[in-house]
Amino acid sequence: MLRVVKPKNSRSKRFLDNREAKAVENVKTALVLRGSNTSEIVKEALADLYALKKPDAVSFSKKNEIHPFDDQAPLEALLRKNDTSLFLLGTHSKKRPHNLVFGRAFDHQILDMIEVGIEYAIPGYVFADAKCAVGARPLFLFQGEAFDQREEYRAFKNLLIDFFHGEFTDGIDLHGIQHMISVTAGPLPADESESGVIYFRVLSIELKKSGTKNPRVETTEMGPALDFRIRRTKLADMNTWRQATRVPREMHARNVKNINRDGMGDTYGRIHLGEQKLDEIQTRKMKALKLTRQEKKSQQNDAEGDDGSMNVE
Amino acid sequence: MDVSSALEAHKKKFKTTEVEKVIPLDIDLGLLTASDINVLDDSLLKSKDTAALNKYLRRITRDGAQLLINSIFSRPTRTTEDSVIAELPKPFLKLPREKHVPKPKPLTRWEKFAQTKGIQSTKRSQKVFDEATGEYLPRWGYRGVNDAEKQWLVEVKDGADPFQDQFQKLRDEKKERVNKNQRRHQRNLEESAAEQRSISNPRSMQKKDLQRTLVLSKSSTASMGRFDRQLVGEPKVKGVKRKFKSNDVDAGEEKDTSLKLLKKVVDAPKGKIDVHKAIRKLKK
Repeated sequence: MLRVVKPKNSRSKRFLDNREAKAVENVKTALVLRGSNTSEIVKEALADLYALKKPDAVSFSKKNEIHPFDDQAPLEALLRKNDTSLFLLGTHSKKRPHNLVFGRAFDHQILDMIEVGIEYAIPGYVFADAKCAVGARPLFLFQGEAFDQREEYRAFKNLLIDFFHGEFTDGIDLHGIQHMISVTAGPLPADESESGVIYFRVLSIELKKSGTKNPRVETTEMGPALDFRIRRTKLADMNTWRQATRVPREMHARNVKNINRDGMGDTYGRIHLGEQKLDEIQTRKMKALKLTRQEKKSQQNDAEGDDGSMNVE
Repeated sequence: MDVSSALEAHKKKFKTTEVEKVIPLDIDLGLLTASDINVLDDSLLKSKDTAALNKYLRRITRDGAQLLINSIFSRPTRTTEDSVIAELPKPFLKLPREKHVPKPKPLTRWEKFAQTKGIQSTKRSQKVFDEATGEYLPRWGYRGVNDAEKQWLVEVKDGADPFQDQFQKLRDEKKERVNKNQRRHQRNLEESAAEQRSISNPRSMQKKDLQRTLVLSKSSTASMGRFDRQLVGEPKVKGVKRKFKSNDVDAGEEKDTSLKLLKKVVDAPKGKIDVHKAIRKLKK
């Protein structure tokens, strides 16, 4: 017999159903974990980035013998077990000091990952006064030409947005805008294989009166402030990427026939109301038009006679 | 009346919300993302002065944030009880999915058959009218009308054994029907699982599993299956046979084996040596 996992009660059925592939997906959960050795800088960076990703994140506090660029299997097993599709691995070694690996998985298989070294770090607790609410959607700002020029920069931008964007909504509360993730690409070295510094900053946003419709924006850093340099990368191969970015049929915008919209957002269409029955229409109530008690009774008797039933008294 | 001077004075009380950029930002409002490809001040970014660098970053980031906020505030809004919500368009940037697009559920045998024959299911009401009680009762299940137990009289059909318990017969038949349906259900589950794992013949998998169960059950007796009757076509169990080399071999042979092992270790690609396995081999 092929082993068929069958849930024994509805709670576990719901749990398993939730893990199935869905047309409209939930927010990606991130797994934040440590490699076999971590430095203080890496630990603090992990904690800060975890706080930024909360509540859609799982944090592991123990060491793991995981080297995703050598062997992906153990990490994929962890991703599958925790049903997470993003990961952030922190390591520290002599060869690659203060190392972070950002990555994501498609169908529990690693899709792409980018390893960055931390060159400068100020942990979040240094900026004590400014903090944002858990689960608030961040704004993103990417500055520098490099995000358009280099393949790994473009991938890193896509990965960071995917990592931190939070829940998709069709609108945003104007007073709920609280923080921004700003990523600035420093000057690129002449050597194609080398990466420039990438400045990762998180700022809290304050909206102030400006006398116009748009508010005046004031920013204060809320941390962490990290300078990265890209090390090893494993970018998604074309085929898997195409698979992963497929849009399910349910999500395609349907063409609605015979309804038009103009530039002002007004809707035009022809409405069919059906025949108007003027004799049954409710007009203004007047005493003169009211049926007397006798008229009512005779009408009732007529109706009963019509349907062929017998009156028994 | 000229109010421009008054407006100007009012405006001067506040800091400006306008930011000038050579190349306008590329804004993806669905993701609340702005991309700025304007040239940055490389001399500041390259300098060792972190204070100046951070100050510069803070300044350009504020400008970017201002532009992004401006475009969010120019979106159409809707108001709810305690908030004003700016409507956002669909994201422009393509982000990969977490899992594949859901596949349609595999059809059961009956559904396949019905499809080829063009049989369409008709909706039956869940309850039927029970004339005896004058109530609507469930067609089946708890308090259902098809319950054999409920009947107070069962006809003994022509040619049937007069001494047979007809109630028991009904009960048995129902049990058989339920069991059969469960077997069919299990088969459907297996076939759909095989289809999803792209195994063309689910029966081959079933056979393998049955043989495994047989071997396990046979070795589950006190004598580990030693005195069990042999079945026709019983699968042979492949066990692990231990081989020991004799302790006294001539020096040349011993040298050869050790050198062979050493060569294997030295020539092996890095990280491919299983230390525990190597020790085990050496001990033999």
